Amino acid sequence: MENIEYLKEKAKEIKELTLNMCINACTGHVTSSFSCVEILTALYHGKIMRYDAKNPKWEGRDRFILSKGQASPILYAVLANNGFFPKEWLNKFCCADGKFGVHLQNDIPGVEITSGSLGQGFGVAVGIALAAKMDRKDYLTFAMLGDGECYEGSIWEAAMFAAHNRLNNLVAIIDRNWLCVTDFTENLVKLNPLDKKFEAFGWEVKTINGHNFEEILEALKDIRSRKRDKPYLIIADTVKGKGVSFMQYKPLWHGLAPSGDNAENAKKELKCEVNYD
Amino acid sequence: MTSSSTTSMRDAFLTRLYQLGKQDRNVVIVSADFGAPALDIIRLDLASQFVNVGIAEQNMIAIASGLALEGKKPYAFAIAPFATSRCHEFTKVDLSLMKIPVRILGVGAGFSYDDSGPTHHTTEDIAIMRALPNLEILCPADSIASAKFADISYNSDKPMYIRLDRKILPQIYDESESFQEGFKELKKGEEICIISTGNMVHTALEVQKKLEIEGKRIGVIDLYRLKPISHDLKKVLSNYKMIVSLEEHILDGGLGSIISEIITDNNLKVNLKRIGLTKYIYAYGGRENIQKICAIDADSVIKCIKNL
Repeated sequence: MENIEYLKEKAKEIKELTLNMCINACTGHVTSSFSCVEILTALYHGKIMRYDAKNPKWEGRDRFILSKGQASPILYAVLANNGFFPKEWLNKFCCADGKFGVHLQNDIPGVEITSGSLGQGFGVAVGIALAAKMDRKDYLTFAMLGDGECYEGSIWEAAMFAAHNRLNNLVAIIDRNWLCVTDFTENLVKLNPLDKKFEAFGWEVKTINGHNFEEILEALKDIRSRKRDKPYLIIADTVKGKGVSFMQYKPLWHGLAPSGDNAENAKKELKCEVNYD
Repeated sequence: MTSSSTTSMRDAFLTRLYQLGKQDRNVVIVSADFGAPALDIIRLDLASQFVNVGIAEQNMIAIASGLALEGKKPYAFAIAPFATSRCHEFTKVDLSLMKIPVRILGVGAGFSYDDSGPTHHTTEDIAIMRALPNLEILCPADSIASAKFADISYNSDKPMYIRLDRKILPQIYDESESFQEGFKELKKGEEICIISTGNMVHTALEVQKKLEIEGKRIGVIDLYRLKPISHDLKKVLSNYKMIVSLEEHILDGGLGSIISEIITDNNLKVNLKRIGLTKYIYAYGGRENIQKICAIDADSVIKCIKNL
């Protein structure tokens, strides 16, 4: 299992990259990105996912589908950090001469699908997992969803289908940060009990602290060899905007990048961040 | 040229797809709980190449897209109104934006599902589907064309929407037709030409035949590829003084709109009369009765042409 301290440092590095690119561009879903940084760090740096940064379309790679496409900044930061494309591209985030914008774009090395319209990517991930079964290929398909995204009916269509077809090569992760755009999910339309809903739909479900690397790695341990006949869901309990005190738990920070004093304070807080629990 | 056919366009397409699927295990049908006699043999013989998602058209497109990303040749198969409207945004993002080569096979163009009522009519699909860049649209007028479109779609790497009628329609084409042009001038006329697609091509031919008896030579064009439009079509349209577009489709954004755009964009000196639908309708007693009420039957078209 990868060194926890190494992963914490990596997560901090990725978070800083993400924050800086959004501050420079004056846009980007910072809070949506910060809630899932540890998950992505674990997947890409924790020796979980198989990939080849020099050959992003390597047939044997695991597929990662970011269905919550607004978290594109964090994925772009992870991919750049891993050498999928030059880090300089991050400086051009949302620029006229840049390569990508606020939502995820499929022609960027390391990115599998365009996403941003919530509820769509998950079903595509299910189709990709199904293709692996059809062709007896051993790649895994990982899909990251937002919890607010689970309001979309298409999520449940895909969930039902995946369980019925016993896609045990599919790992979904819900970034359960309890917030949508305008309100907390449980004030808006109750999602809980989210775990029991997915279990009723035929999934194996595990709920973890999504900022705790020990728990993340434990949930993903032996992911390839563990015997199961159901698709697997990890509900990662997270904080939207984690690490920046004035952005955490605040619906109105959705889709915004801090500026001015807020930007400087955010940077300072990230540099000091030590507690991941 | 016309003779009876005993195979529906749907079954002609699926029968050919079965043959293709036997040779290529990447052909996969993703059905939204929609069946057909010709599908039964695929379900039995090529079971691993048939996926039923249930009544879930958005998931149908998503699953098909995921399969296509992994090298499969998926055919998303559902009743046309739901294969187009219900999952339109998935088609927009997956097929149009990402150019994922899924073929949407929608059965029930126009008033095919006549007495099922307007929830099951497909009278706005041309408008909403042609608004999507990169999506090709095919609409056969007989079973020969339909079977050929199975090959055309199989050999293409482009996302596609194929709109099929439900009725068994008389044969227009023979096997030698390549269907590469995008349209066919079935009858040459003098001043007026009807352009149509799908089952309405047969109405156009009926109109042509009746007017010919009265000494009026009307042209008939089958526009079987609604998108992209052939560059040569404008040349043929220019041979006439008046084009009559005839569609079992809402006028806004439909076939007539396509012709209007061609005329305007190319500065053609030709007039256009658009015949089609203006609203949804609760009407029963069979398709012919519904068409009569909507004034798109042969007699109504003849009356309209005589008044031009």
